[in-house]
Amino acid sequence: MQTIFYIILVPMVYLSVAVFALGTLVRIIKIFKGPRHPTTLQIYPEKKAKWLGALYDTFFFPTVRKHKPVLWVFLILFHAGLILLFIGHLELIWDLSLFQIIPHEPFLGKGFVGLTLAVSLLFFLFRRFSSPVRELSVPEDYYLLILLFLIVLFGSQMDWARRWYEYGELSLEDYRDYFMSLMTFRPELPYNATFSGHSFMLILHVFLANLFLIFFPFSQSMHAFLSLPINKLRRG
Amino acid sequence: MDQKTRNELLKLFKSKLNEAMRLYLETCTRCGVCTEACHVYASTGQVKHIAAYRSEIIRRLYKKYFKIRGKLWPSLSESKELTDVALEELFEAAYSCTGCRRCMVYCPFGIDTQMLMSIAKLLLIGANTEPEILTLLADTSVEKGKSIDLFKEGFLQGIKNLEKEVVKKWKAEAGDSVIPVDVMGADILYVALAGAHSIIPAAAIFNAAGENWTLSFFEAVNFGAFVGDPTKTKLILDRIINEALRLKVKEVCICECGTAFRVMKQLSGKQPFKVSSITEVHARYFKEGRIKIDPGKFNTAITYHDPCQLARNAGVMDEPRYILSQMTKDFRDMTPDPTYNWCCGGGGGLVALGDETIDFRMKSARVKADQVKKTEARILATACENCHSQLSDLNDHYKMNVEVKFLSSMIADALVSE
Ligand code: SF4
Ligand code: SF4
Repeated sequence: MQTIFYIILVPMVYLSVAVFALGTLVRIIKIFKGPRHPTTLQIYPEKKAKWLGALYDTFFFPTVRKHKPVLWVFLILFHAGLILLFIGHLELIWDLSLFQIIPHEPFLGKGFVGLTLAVSLLFFLFRRFSSPVRELSVPEDYYLLILLFLIVLFGSQMDWARRWYEYGELSLEDYRDYFMSLMTFRPELPYNATFSGHSFMLILHVFLANLFLIFFPFSQSMHAFLSLPINKLRRG
Repeated sequence: MDQKTRNELLKLFKSKLNEAMRLYLETCTRCGVCTEACHVYASTGQVKHIAAYRSEIIRRLYKKYFKIRGKLWPSLSESKELTDVALEELFEAAYSCTGCRRCMVYCPFGIDTQMLMSIAKLLLIGANTEPEILTLLADTSVEKGKSIDLFKEGFLQGIKNLEKEVVKKWKAEAGDSVIPVDVMGADILYVALAGAHSIIPAAAIFNAAGENWTLSFFEAVNFGAFVGDPTKTKLILDRIINEALRLKVKEVCICECGTAFRVMKQLSGKQPFKVSSITEVHARYFKEGRIKIDPGKFNTAITYHDPCQLARNAGVMDEPRYILSQMTKDFRDMTPDPTYNWCCGGGGGLVALGDETIDFRMKSARVKADQVKKTEARILATACENCHSQLSDLNDHYKMNVEVKFLSSMIADALVSE
């Protein structure tokens, strides 16, 4: 069992990150090496600040706000939550003083960010079960949401355990040591990471996150990188 | 479908895969925000008419033949084989989409369904299953470009007859040369449609404005664009570009045809002449005081239908409103933002297909009829031949109780000489 844990927590992490980085790069290159479209594809009236407009469209989804306000609220919560969680993971590696303007222990949000994300993901998932989004959806869409939901759930569990029900067997230091060892290519698993009562949460979280990273370049999650250039086309 | 045909069709598919097309093919999250954007879905409520549903039909083929995961794990994204049944689906998707790009305004990524449907249209051409009449019309236009001398005589005779009509109605404005043709160094080359209604009022207004203009030998309409054939689209366009270059004109003015204007404006590339729509030219005449009209001529409520290819897709929005503000005190806009105006339901070649599509055109444009009725206007003006035909059909079908008019005819009818 310990070998499987090790494989998940060390070599598989490296492999996933490599697939993610390489896959994403190859896919982006493939798209952008194609010839440019000969005509403008913009929608009128034309606005002056095209890049700024495209950035606004990319990060604030104004068209969704206008046409599906409830979905928009969840989308904003979800994407903002993702950014906060990303920062949280960075803080597991380094002490980032920049983010300590509001003093906190990683992760920001006292566990509520994960909760918001989980609820948003459930909303997206159930939305896909109702018509007409159901007819538009393909299996990939469900898998992706379920996968993300489970990642968030197990990841947040670790946070919630420490904060909400004082189950602190796996301490911040343990996470830090593990992350840092991966980053410095001297992988080492703290005892608690594989032997504590909560270690299965970490292992499941990492395993599913690995799957997500491997899946990422081949999935519609790529919109994270493609949204800006595609929105720029509409802005002209 | 045999393998050879399939390979040929996939070659055509590949020819469409430029940067933008790949972005459109690879970014959709199937969020469904575009659902209510399409007039066809809004009118019929059928899922197959949602923009993303149409695009998925293309996307499934794309994944099957151009993406590794579609080959390795087809069920994951429901990738699909290119078969005769798939061609039927492509036909239905492409020829129930007018290419209005209203869905593009809703989509968080701005995915262009018209672009994606252009793949479907090209595959249909490759499989000889496109609407034949559109190809025939496109071929006729291309042929005319090749052998203009054959057509010249008949064309000039036709123009002589039209001149008489212009003089009859607008004697004072007519001047010496009523409908000038082949004028070297003219300021404007006017590209009309094959029909008196597209030439006579325009001639009256040009003459009233004292314009140094000349009429093109060619008609503006581009059936190559309707049928989705890039080669023919370009050939049809080139006839006009070459004529403009030969005559050394300063400006090419496209008649009331949205697609013709958009194709000319956006596809002609860098040229020594400017491209304008006739609506822009007329607005200019008003602003410069070059034409005068009787403001009381249309003493009634007027609304305006924005042709999608002219407004949302080419930016001519303010000019028609400015013109109408000169013609009536009771202008009623259909929507506060013209970007959101409903398509008339006749674009993408559907009107050109005539009776074959009338049933669908009427059913799919119910929301347009409702929008017009809501204004309670008595005149429905527009600046596109296709829209005019479709709106007239809608007027009969839904008893909209309006008079559908071309903007240019309204101006011509209201002209007063100084
Ligand atoms: S709104 Fe855009 S991303 Fe969403 S389903 Fe429609 S086309 Fe796809
Ligand atoms: S381009 Fe127009 S007709 Fe086609 S799917 Fe979009 S909204 Fe519907």
